[in-house]
Amino acid sequence: MPHVRNTAGAARKGRLKEDSVVEKLWWIVHKDLVSECRARRVWPAMLLLGAVVALILSMEMNAVPGEKPRLVSGFLWLATFFAGMLALDRSFVSEREEGCWESLRTYPVPPSTVYFAKLAVNVVALAALQAVLVPLFAALSDVPLLAHPAAMLSVSLLGNLGISSLGTLLGALAAGIRHGANLTALLVLPAAIPVVLAATEATSLAVAGDFGSAWWRWIQLLGIAAGLFVTAGWVLFDFVIEE
Amino acid sequence: MKLAVKRRYAGPMGRDVLLGGLTATAVFGVFGFAPTEESMGEVQKIVYIHVPVAWFSLLALGVMAGAGLAYLARRDLRWDAWAEAAGETGWLCSTLTLLTGSLWAHEAWGTWWTWDPRLTSMFVLWMIYSGCLIVRGSLEDRHRRARAGSVLAVVGVVDLPLVVMATRWFRGIHPASPEMEPAMHVVLLLTVATFTALMFTVLARRYRQIGLERRLAELEDRLVAESG
Repeated sequence: MPHVRNTAGAARKGRLKEDSVVEKLWWIVHKDLVSECRARRVWPAMLLLGAVVALILSMEMNAVPGEKPRLVSGFLWLATFFAGMLALDRSFVSEREEGCWESLRTYPVPPSTVYFAKLAVNVVALAALQAVLVPLFAALSDVPLLAHPAAMLSVSLLGNLGISSLGTLLGALAAGIRHGANLTALLVLPAAIPVVLAATEATSLAVAGDFGSAWWRWIQLLGIAAGLFVTAGWVLFDFVIEE
Repeated sequence: MKLAVKRRYAGPMGRDVLLGGLTATAVFGVFGFAPTEESMGEVQKIVYIHVPVAWFSLLALGVMAGAGLAYLARRDLRWDAWAEAAGETGWLCSTLTLLTGSLWAHEAWGTWWTWDPRLTSMFVLWMIYSGCLIVRGSLEDRHRRARAGSVLAVVGVVDLPLVVMATRWFRGIHPASPEMEPAMHVVLLLTVATFTALMFTVLARRYRQIGLERRLAELEDRLVAESG
């Protein structure tokens, strides 16, 4: 992983220019995305689990006709959450097993940079999952989830950030525990309940085209939760990765 | 030596007598002073244990997070012992809250469980405590265990107000502030005060016990090292 840049000018003068924090962050993100594109260890399993959960839940989507939008919104966010947890779990555990985690810890950046890089990768992974699941749920249920794309995008983004920020912090914590591979969902689920609940309600109100005070209240809650969890991750990640 | 034993024993005696007297007064208040509620009868008296345990389970989360933050700042394992003791007593109280609440709900609402906001919040609190205990039990190194427990406690204390806020925006059936006769209010306050004192005593004793366990483990390790 290059953390110094040998530009032509710098090379002529015999000096190496050190990367900025943003560039170092980008190298970690780049490493994770390239590694996933080459080995395909996490994303296919995550997408498959999301699709399987969507198909299984679609059998129950017509159970209560009047509550269908709300039911579909809830199922969508549950599928997103559980498939996302699988991705988080596998990404951290495989890094630990292959010794990548040790190399990452020696990388000359503050732990918060590693946290934000991992968070960025997890947000991208969850966004890819949502890009598959939202149209899939819309097709399976006939609920117009994409009727208001801007509203759906904002709910997805804030919900994604809330789940990813918590999952990145607690996933790293669970990965450091012996036999802790399956602990991530157990640790994240109770803490992520406000996010899943608010995202479900905001999605069902967006489907109904109701952008009144109730919708804004849920969006505000999603924003507050995302802000708090990102801050918690930023402050606490150092303690999580310390050996 | 006799004096030392006497002094060690005389210390907690005064507190124990006081606590015993307070508990006896509270029990008398519940069964001999507080009037019986008309519609629910004797079952309503569950509230005199349900409210105190629910209150302490919230208080213990604050103690656990505070001690966890103090550990992260100071790296002193005594703070972690406080956090561990608070986590265990908090888990006990949240379990008792769910059980007593379930018994009350069965009589009042005809169901053992419903996804009411307050019930959901308490269930989440119970899961936070359970997660902390599982993680603590999975790590052998004391400082790693302390760091993981502290991080979870801080996340839990940040998260709980959000859980309460989110779940309260749904319609709930849990009474927010049930109507009570003044005598019932007095007894309820007495049971809350008594139970808080009782559980802080349990917490302090558990803290001391954890300290002794750790000291014993250190001595055992030293003995093994010296003999080997």
